[in-house]
Amino acid sequence: MLPYRSKKSVLIFILPPLLLYGAGVLLPVIQSLIISFFDWDGISDMKFTGLANYIKMLTGDSVFWQSFGNSMVYLVICLVLQLGGALLVATLLTGMTKGRDLVKTLYLLPAVISTVAISFLFQRIYSVDPKGLLNQALDAIGLHSWTHAWLSDPHTVLAAVSIPEGWRFSGLYMLIIYAAFMSVPPEIEEAARLDGANGWQLFTKIRFPYIRPVWITTVIMAVTYGLQGFDIPYLLNNGRYGQLVTTYMYRTAFSNTNYGYASAISVFIVIECLIAVALIFKVIFRKEEA
Amino acid sequence: MRKNKYAAIAATVAALLLVTGCGSGGGSGKAESVNPKGDIKPREISWLLSRPADGGVIKAMKQISKDYSKEHPGFSLKLITTPDRPSYIQKLETLAAANKLPDLFDIDATPFAQKLAKKGSMVNVEKMLKDMKIYDNYRTSALDYQRFDDGSLYMVPFESQIEVFFYNKVLFKKAGINIPKTLDDFPAMCTALQKSGSTPIALNGKDMWPLERYMAFYPFRASGNEFIKNLKKGNAKLSNAEGRKAVEWMANLGKSQCFQQGFSSTEYADAQALFTSGKAAVYNDGSWELPALATSKLNPEVRDDIDYFLLPTTPGSKTTENEYAAPSGIGMAINAKTYDPLVRDFIKYSLTKYSKIYADTGQITPMKSSTAKIPSDATPLYKRNFDDADKVGKVTLMPWDTQLDSTSNTRLQQELPLLVQGDISVDKFINTMDKVIQENGPKAFKDLN
Repeated sequence: MLPYRSKKSVLIFILPPLLLYGAGVLLPVIQSLIISFFDWDGISDMKFTGLANYIKMLTGDSVFWQSFGNSMVYLVICLVLQLGGALLVATLLTGMTKGRDLVKTLYLLPAVISTVAISFLFQRIYSVDPKGLLNQALDAIGLHSWTHAWLSDPHTVLAAVSIPEGWRFSGLYMLIIYAAFMSVPPEIEEAARLDGANGWQLFTKIRFPYIRPVWITTVIMAVTYGLQGFDIPYLLNNGRYGQLVTTYMYRTAFSNTNYGYASAISVFIVIECLIAVALIFKVIFRKEEA
Repeated sequence: MRKNKYAAIAATVAALLLVTGCGSGGGSGKAESVNPKGDIKPREISWLLSRPADGGVIKAMKQISKDYSKEHPGFSLKLITTPDRPSYIQKLETLAAANKLPDLFDIDATPFAQKLAKKGSMVNVEKMLKDMKIYDNYRTSALDYQRFDDGSLYMVPFESQIEVFFYNKVLFKKAGINIPKTLDDFPAMCTALQKSGSTPIALNGKDMWPLERYMAFYPFRASGNEFIKNLKKGNAKLSNAEGRKAVEWMANLGKSQCFQQGFSSTEYADAQALFTSGKAAVYNDGSWELPALATSKLNPEVRDDIDYFLLPTTPGSKTTENEYAAPSGIGMAINAKTYDPLVRDFIKYSLTKYSKIYADTGQITPMKSSTAKIPSDATPLYKRNFDDADKVGKVTLMPWDTQLDSTSNTRLQQELPLLVQGDISVDKFINTMDKVIQENGPKAFKDLN
């Protein structure tokens, strides 16, 4: 329990971050909400259209739903790579004694490289003419027929843009999960071992339940970042195929100058993120109750 | 009680936002005068442009502004260039929406530009040039390219280009073919080139406009610019005979594997390198690339093998062989809000000197007065290109990306590669595009003409 603080002193400390949060997050969200009820091209007068943008988005826009489907696939690929990869590497790291810091640093490296650099890097990796690293590697192992224009084929582009995003942040989540593993008291693990628990049991019964709060936070972070994913998909192919809800919103606003409709899409993204977090909580708490 | 208080605060915040949200959209252009009164007060002028940083226009304008600043201490010209066109347009449209356009900015004669002009955000260039007594110095074709559909002129041209098909004679010979006589010969040309082991056509698909240009060829030959002028307003459809023919031609280019694998994500430099390295046989580009394609800068291995042909006709073609894409480049608009005696004086000074300086960089100018200087290391192609530029006919191809409303244009740029790659059928492409254009085109042009 914190010692008593006067309301005024609490307010003084809370107000600045609250104002910053309000100006940086809430204001744009509310502004988008307002603009979403208008038809506005940015230069003409705004025309109030009520719910027309939402009705169009939910009932009459096939591109929007296609983008939504793509966003879900993108999210799944990112989550598997980021959380699955992070959990695997963090677990392996706890068993390592030598070179642990080096592996950690190498793994974290992509998270500190700028998005633009990563996009350029992968553009070259996927390139078909001049032949990029991936197609060269396929050639080298005799899989010439597999070489492919990864970023131009609508069937592969979604995976191609998800992989760099997944790769980029897996190191960061690995570090968070690894730190959580480090906080598991060794005596509990030792006791379990003495009771005859094997590695898998140790992981599922001791370590993982112990880091669950951190895991929840990591899942929420990865899901919300995944739903907001924009930069790499956009930079890699101008968001043309395998369009995500976010790249579609951006194009609607800044290429098509349909700010009203784009705002409706952005409101959808906010609601989608809130629903995703609520669902995660629901699933996790139900598990805990069971 | 407390709940009510919070509700009142929330309502106030929302109302404030509404006001700020609407505010940025407003802003009216002031009553226009092309010769504002007052003293010339030197300051920094900004020009937001979309031209290559080492290109002739920027080089010439840098020199001119340097000379002008000697006569007007305190003056400087700030050039902010974004050569990547899609990014540039987004930047410009965002600035326009925020009511923060710079003194000078590049823009094509798009519906968006016309809206800006109608709103009073741009200076009437025809009036301005006439007032400066330099209007008659311009080539008619250079000015016409910049005009809106209603004939009004709000952009100054800085270039005069022609777009041709550069090709590699040796690769054509190896494939046993001649240059195509009509557009219908393209698929067969591609098949023959493919069979002989060459990439038929190099295309920088990432820029999006190059493939859209191909889409414009067939309708331009069939009816000049009539089709696109009607299509963009929803008065013609791709499902009409003329539109379908163009779409089928594009699909056939795809079936004949005309473009390199992965063309839609190929960048400008990579596409050009495909051609200049002797891998690709054809490359459609403008005379702005002559310094790279027709001088000693060109790879010596292919230097003598490069030639070019003009846009082939079609049977019953309405436009003639000397009528094709001859753009005067993206135009420069002048912000009416910041147009003052200094801006006017600087523009007059620049446009009077520009032609000679630009011509000396080896480029054709949009003015009649100066003849472009051919570089000493130029191949014979350079001069021939200039001669052809002088012979360009009356009707020139209007690029579709400057004609369609932005939503339809974005969608077309997205669907075209899918059509060419065979990922969608001709019918699906036509249905999708007709629906999108019908939905957005008439709305975009409703209040403009």
